[in-house]
Amino acid sequence: MAKLSYGQFLWRNLKRRSFRNVATVLTFAVVVCSVLIASFLTEGTSNSTRAGMTRLGADLLVVPQEYASNADAIIITGKPSTFFMNTTEMTKLQAVPGVQRVAPQTFIATLSASCCALPTQLIAFNSTMDFTVTPWLDQELGRPLEKDEVILGYQIKGTDVGQPIIFYGHQFKVAGILQPTGTGVDQSVFVRDSDAIVMARESVKVAWQPIEMNPGQISAILVQLEPGADVQQVSADIAAAAPEVSVITSNHLARKIDAQLASTVGALYLTAGAVTLISLPLIATVSTLVVNERRREIGLYRMMGAKKGFVFNALLAEALILAMVGALIGLVSAAAIVIIFNNTITVSLGIPFLWPGLDAVLLQTWWVMLLTVLLGALSALYPAMMAARSDPYESIRAGQK
Amino acid sequence: MIETNEVMKTYETLSGRITALDQANISIKDGEFVLIVGRSGSGKSTLLSILGGLTRPSSGKVMLNGKDLWAMNDEDLSEVRGSELGFVFQFPGLLPTLNTLENVMLPTMFCSKVEEDPSERATILLQTVGLGDKLDSFPNQLSGGELKRAAIARSLMNNPSIILADEPTGDLDVNTEKEIMDMFCRINKLGKTVVMVTHNQDLACFASRVLSMERGIVSEEEGQKCERI
Repeated sequence: MAKLSYGQFLWRNLKRRSFRNVATVLTFAVVVCSVLIASFLTEGTSNSTRAGMTRLGADLLVVPQEYASNADAIIITGKPSTFFMNTTEMTKLQAVPGVQRVAPQTFIATLSASCCALPTQLIAFNSTMDFTVTPWLDQELGRPLEKDEVILGYQIKGTDVGQPIIFYGHQFKVAGILQPTGTGVDQSVFVRDSDAIVMARESVKVAWQPIEMNPGQISAILVQLEPGADVQQVSADIAAAAPEVSVITSNHLARKIDAQLASTVGALYLTAGAVTLISLPLIATVSTLVVNERRREIGLYRMMGAKKGFVFNALLAEALILAMVGALIGLVSAAAIVIIFNNTITVSLGIPFLWPGLDAVLLQTWWVMLLTVLLGALSALYPAMMAARSDPYESIRAGQK
Repeated sequence: MIETNEVMKTYETLSGRITALDQANISIKDGEFVLIVGRSGSGKSTLLSILGGLTRPSSGKVMLNGKDLWAMNDEDLSEVRGSELGFVFQFPGLLPTLNTLENVMLPTMFCSKVEEDPSERATILLQTVGLGDKLDSFPNQLSGGELKRAAIARSLMNNPSIILADEPTGDLDVNTEKEIMDMFCRINKLGKTVVMVTHNQDLACFASRVLSMERGIVSEEEGQKCERI
């Protein structure tokens, strides 16, 4: 060892009061963990909603007015539902200014399926008019969906590409699996409407509760707007042109999810706020006590030639290290909780969740870490300033008493 | 060379103003071993702390090697404390989290005018004070005398020209006291100025000059030969 390094010096000082330091670190960890979980959930659900709407490929989703909440549930959580409206609504929508094109979809809820233990949402799309699944097929398969082929949502387990899957006694073949969206789309199965009609007819013979699917009936209309069209304005125009329908936008879904999340996120932010409010003065008091305990030591540093700045920086650095370690533990804990309990949280809260991109996670983490470090610095600022300013001889003598 | 000019130190207390040091005018030449004796509360520790740049006088000047100590800013004053002065107190003041070697090396963290490798120099100093086998020991594993010797080694780490010692033998038995005083004599013979504060008049024989203090007033005393050297 050539010289005692600054890092070693700080580390030895921190090791000396291990219990107190562990308590301080844990306090910061709880604050960071609460804030980050709330933040990850909020961003994850918002990201999921965006991904879900993008997957649907539509700017707007139009459904029968009395089934708006069922449609929300299909997209948000994947809760299967069957409802119908007349295809004539499509004609009304096509006439609304700002609407570029429309595509019908039919939602069929299976009570159970050979693929899975839980009911599944079958979404029948029109191959000619569709602009949501077809582009994906072109990109991923390089061909349209053939007769009796299906595309599975990411969460449909128990089967794979090329394998058969049976709904209502009708055998389909899995042609592809969609990327995860975190929404109900992940628990849906996409099928051509012509195949769905055949399956519905067959269901009369094989199912104890057959599908009632009639030509001329659809469940939803996906709407793509002209570039630059105002979503709110077009939604209002649609509502005026077709009073029997409800318009679902990604904003509408986000608001709905926000409402579902509000109490949980509120509780998490409240916990973080309460812990911060209680612990900050406490940490500041503990820092002051520690500085008082260390007065002789600080006096000795000054006696040996330490400048005021060194004392101030060293005490601040110790506080920052504790805050940083706490923040890192909080970050790892928050990530672990959200990763491990992802399904439990989303199911119990009834929200969709899709991890935001790395850049968004890093940005959130950066802000929370920065805030924690500032809180750590704030709590140690006054004691460190007092310690640096104190008369060295008085400090040494105070330690002797 | 240390010189003071009309140095005063007063403290405001609830019962009024206390004069700890009253117009002290002293001059200590390079290489001297000066003992400042006096009873508790006579102001000798206050004088030493002012000479060492640890506490600011209420008035007066302290010249250290031609520089006005208390006219300096914190940066320069800290530099002087770290490089030109070495301190030894009654309490050893070693950090419990550092071993003996690290404690002795500690002053080099704040300032260092020595070009030698700090670890090597600290080892040599510890060997010189008889603690060559205690480099890795922590303060709680050392005896009172050993702690004091380690503190002396630390005070020499940055090779200061002046050693200021405040009651360094206050809590030691007679044999250890003599051992420590011998050590200060050896340091003095190396050409370093030693200024020591003590309440023990018997130690006067170790010094080349004795200053006496009573109620903040400094006066010169006759030196005496030390039979114990």
